[in-house]
Amino acid sequence: MNSLRSAFLRPSFASTLRLCTSTSRPCRIQAFSSWRTATHIPRERIAWSRAPKYSWRTMATETPPPRASSPPQPPHRASRQQMYAARNRSLLMYTAAVIVLGVGVTYAAVPLYRMFCAATGFAGTPKVGMGKFEAERLVPVENARRIKVHFNADTADALPWTFTPSQRFVSVLPGETSLAFYKAKNKSSKDIIGIATYNVTPDRIAPYFGKVECFCFDEQKLLAGEEVDMPLLFFIDKDVLEDPACRNLDDVVLSYTFFRARRNAQGHLEPDAPDDVVQASQGFADYEMAPRAEDRKPTSEDSPKPS
Amino acid sequence: MSFGRPPSISGSFQATPPDRGSFPLDHYGECKDHMKVYLDCLRKNASNSTPCRHLNRDYLDCRMNRGLMDRDEWKNLGMSNVDSKASATKDDPHDASVKASPSS
Repeated sequence: MNSLRSAFLRPSFASTLRLCTSTSRPCRIQAFSSWRTATHIPRERIAWSRAPKYSWRTMATETPPPRASSPPQPPHRASRQQMYAARNRSLLMYTAAVIVLGVGVTYAAVPLYRMFCAATGFAGTPKVGMGKFEAERLVPVENARRIKVHFNADTADALPWTFTPSQRFVSVLPGETSLAFYKAKNKSSKDIIGIATYNVTPDRIAPYFGKVECFCFDEQKLLAGEEVDMPLLFFIDKDVLEDPACRNLDDVVLSYTFFRARRNAQGHLEPDAPDDVVQASQGFADYEMAPRAEDRKPTSEDSPKPS
Repeated sequence: MSFGRPPSISGSFQATPPDRGSFPLDHYGECKDHMKVYLDCLRKNASNSTPCRHLNRDYLDCRMNRGLMDRDEWKNLGMSNVDSKASATKDDPHDASVKASPSS
């Protein structure tokens, strides 16, 4: 405790504190003159603190006067000054290092946070290139059997667009990414927002069919009379070669259906068509669906009220 | 998803979203030439995708240059082993007939 205090306090005052404790006499911190008379301190020790160039008000951080001009100091007094100077210098260095480190961490925090979010998907960052879309999986399997992907395009009746595939089919290797194009033309005189759904048959290929980037489920606005080419980057996962159910599967049909878009109660864009038509476009024509919350009719029986 | 589909159907078709979302529309047809070259190559090669992969790379490169696609490494798009030579050399009809796969 004493040494800590002595690092910060003025040397002469600290030395007097140490003297207070060493004499084991009651020592009160008073003004210099009354203190001198009250306590029993030998005279020659007081003489140090009254040295003309080094009064007790001198701060510890000030450099001591040059050795030649000051009176000859006892050796342990000089080394104590040096020790304080060294300690203060090291304290200054540590403080400067902490400040520089703090500023550096502040600058590094932005890219580090971005990397953390990309790795963990924190705060809603979309995880791209993970799972079945990892770079290692997108490598074609040489000399494997080829799978023909046929393309089909439909439009809803309420949508005055022509929507056709630009190629009939593409023969791909498992694991190989390839492009396909669709052409859409807005025949009406108004700007229309369309939204597309897709479907893959047969069902057993569905877990292996991956789309890297496409144009489905997102609003696509076509100006009146505009014609545009829509690309699609897809691949068939190479695990299809190991699936016994897909052993003799050579043809796949990829079918897109374009609907007019409308906003639902939550403000999301959805196809502007009856629900069963939308589900049929996604391959669920044979499935019986529970009606959505807004379409449910109220039941005739009331639930029993709690008594 | 916002189309109200039941989540409990497994093994059959599940419309998973695309990994990178949606391509922005090419309203001005800036990459239409690359698309035409690719479709011609497909026609010549009996719709075999392997000989035309370098044209895939050209088309995606065109999109990235025009701001119609986020720039990304080729290996993340599955095109790390494709060298994008100038399409003129590969579109040689004589070349294509040699490359046509015997299975299709």
